[in-house]
Amino acid sequence: MAVGRDDHAFRQRWFEFLAPISRKWRIILGTSIWILFFGLWELAVLSGWVNTLLVPSPLQVINTLYELFAERGFLMDVGISVARILGSFVVACAIAIPLGVLMGSFKAVESFVNPFVSAWRYLPAPAFIPILLMWFGTGELPKLALLFLGVIFFLITLIMDHTSQVRSELIETAMTLGGQRWQILWTVVVPAVLPSIVTSMRQMLAIAWTYLVIAEIIASTTGIGAMMMRARRFLNTDEIMAGILIIGLLGLAFDVMFRWLQRVLFPYLDQEGHA
Amino acid sequence: MNLSHAKGEASTATAVRASTDEPKLRLERVGKSFHVPRGPDIEAITDVSFSTYENEVCVLLGPSGCGKSTVLRMVAGLEQPTSGELTLDGQPIVGPAQERGMVFQAYTSFDWLTVQQNVEYGMRLNHVPRGERRERAAHFIDLVGLSRFADAYPRHLSGGMKQRVAIARTLANQPSLLLMDEPFGALDAQTRWQMQELMLSIAEAANTTVLMVTHDIEEAIFLADRIEFMSRHPGTVHEEIAPSFKQGRRLRQKEELIGLSGYDDLERHILQLMREQGSDSTDH
Repeated sequence: MAVGRDDHAFRQRWFEFLAPISRKWRIILGTSIWILFFGLWELAVLSGWVNTLLVPSPLQVINTLYELFAERGFLMDVGISVARILGSFVVACAIAIPLGVLMGSFKAVESFVNPFVSAWRYLPAPAFIPILLMWFGTGELPKLALLFLGVIFFLITLIMDHTSQVRSELIETAMTLGGQRWQILWTVVVPAVLPSIVTSMRQMLAIAWTYLVIAEIIASTTGIGAMMMRARRFLNTDEIMAGILIIGLLGLAFDVMFRWLQRVLFPYLDQEGHA
Repeated sequence: MNLSHAKGEASTATAVRASTDEPKLRLERVGKSFHVPRGPDIEAITDVSFSTYENEVCVLLGPSGCGKSTVLRMVAGLEQPTSGELTLDGQPIVGPAQERGMVFQAYTSFDWLTVQQNVEYGMRLNHVPRGERRERAAHFIDLVGLSRFADAYPRHLSGGMKQRVAIARTLANQPSLLLMDEPFGALDAQTRWQMQELMLSIAEAANTTVLMVTHDIEEAIFLADRIEFMSRHPGTVHEEIAPSFKQGRRLRQKEELIGLSGYDDLERHILQLMREQGSDSTDH
């Protein structure tokens, strides 16, 4: 009565609900969409469908990127941009993390600070650019201030929400073990919320990149954004695209770094379920 | 003087009551009402009075919504009564403290600590020296049978094992009263009775007084030296039941229960109480 196994193999189809996909195929598929993208781009240039002055070929862009780094000191611009991001982000985190944790832990702090913070969240940071320029001139301060303003209120809110979601049973367990308030804050609330804080930081760093480019395009002579605006004046589209490429790659690099940090700092977490 | 009965029949608690007659834990006319905006206060618990004695396993049993968990949380000091008095060893309960450790139904292992560190946690809060901490934790981890997993993180443990970590952590902290809020409610049937047997043996080994909440009748009869049966509307102690058929003995294994005469009658009696008190139509 046995059914021949070869004749009736369990069906394998490309599109199947809930079916997993192997790692090998995931990599192949993920790479091929990029190959497809650059291939079509190159094809469009070679076949003359597009004006090469406006759309340089991808190889041309890579070539320009190399020239920028090798001959024109682009590394300095990249360094300045990264320093601006990190500088303002560190200050924002130094304020947002303790404040957010306290707001999420104690209703009194939340009631005092949150009406202020949540109102600021509705003001888009670029709205402050004119006044920041008036106050701080054209130096580093207005850029740092813009990045800071763009990030801090969201970061506070995210961290507050995550902190207030720490399960009450964990806190109550510590209470019935004889924990004092500050002990519980340090030994239960902070470690419980820390993975979520790192995730929030990762998300907000991506937002910081957005504000960085805005700041550098509007009022700067240095940095990646400023280089791109200079290139625009001379119709160097290949340099503009090289700038876009490098911003994308840096964003990706920071994201990878944060994911790595998360794995190193929180080995006890099920990383698959906490991506 | 009989303080411990709201209503219902008085049954003499023969159980394992210790030599002294001073109660360990005493609740006197405890009530709790919740404030509802634009409405009359809701009285969740009314006039709850009972006592628990040294080394006793006392079970709060009743239909859902009778307020048994609220009573337990008030004993833990996690909630404040609106009337009445709660005392432990004669001292009024004014908040949570190390002397009243609680095990919850939800898993409460700290994910970022290993089993060993979890069990040491309470002692760290109370500044127990490192050496003693190690030793006591190892002892209780051994008691709950998790020595092989001492260095594992909780995410590698099953639900029953996490609950054993919670029990070890609470007992290693040497509370004078162990509180348990449906501690085995989330476990599958087999793990559940294994845990019940384990709990009895370690409560005995650690000389702990236990106050436990459950809605499982069999669990209550198996574990309890005394059962406080609570009713709904009002949430109060309806009847104090001593499972006297056990003749003051603690059972080791669940199957012993079946052979004992008197078990069937008690279970039938409690089932009837549950039916009466559990249905909304019978506010007699």
